[in-house]
Amino acid sequence: MSGTFARNGDRIRLQLRPPEVELLGRLAGELRTALDAPEPGDPVRSRLFPPAVLGDPEADREVRDLLADALLADRLDALAAVLELLERGRRSRGRLVVDLRDDEPLLVLGALNDIRLAIGARIDIETIDREQVGEDDPAAYPIAVMDHLGWWQEQLLVILDGRDDTT
Amino acid sequence: MAQAAGPTTTPAREVDTDPEVSADLPWDVIVWDDPVNLMSYVVFVFKRVFGFPDHLAHKLMLEVHEQGRALVASEPREQAERYVHALHGYGLRATMERTS
Repeated sequence: MSGTFARNGDRIRLQLRPPEVELLGRLAGELRTALDAPEPGDPVRSRLFPPAVLGDPEADREVRDLLADALLADRLDALAAVLELLERGRRSRGRLVVDLRDDEPLLVLGALNDIRLAIGARIDIETIDREQVGEDDPAAYPIAVMDHLGWWQEQLLVILDGRDDTT
Repeated sequence: MAQAAGPTTTPAREVDTDPEVSADLPWDVIVWDDPVNLMSYVVFVFKRVFGFPDHLAHKLMLEVHEQGRALVASEPREQAERYVHALHGYGLRATMERTS
């Protein structure tokens, strides 16, 4: 079985099974809602817009205010790009197939990361010992989702590194 | 959707008048460990944001992973802010502080 991401000439092809399409669409939509209309105290917000300056609260406020709008806009753009890909894809042999254009690989990489960070923030991943999480644990499913999306990220990173996209 | 701040809503940035902390004294940019960001992703981000060669990006990623934090740049304030902005955009925990 071919991977979720694969090289297709000079493009990168995304191929998702139906449950993965549903999962990614749902998670991207949920994060967009959480960012668009943040609930007070939502840990997602503090994880995605973290402290910027240490040792100087005034400077921290100033820098975070300065960055907040651009960071939010970029995050929403990346989520919109993911949702658009799911719309644009064609069905082929039971999968959704879509070729990524231009900066879409980076947008997808970033959106996947944001979604994983959001899941981690919601389950307070910093306090969880993964070795102790049994299958009945409420954190088991969110962690499995994070790992699955992390596996997608790894595939994409291998391809992006091979393209030497960083120079 | 967030709106771009117009000229009337943009607060004038305070001018730093304390000679000890003003001007071009560098700020350290620190990246902190977290349990979600993948090691390969952090290497990728370091290469993109700083243009580090692979071995240096990898070494700094390991420092973050093993020691909990790594100093990735020391720059004048505005450049440090740009780095923190970029790193936050990628979802890394990054902070800046005056170089001690």
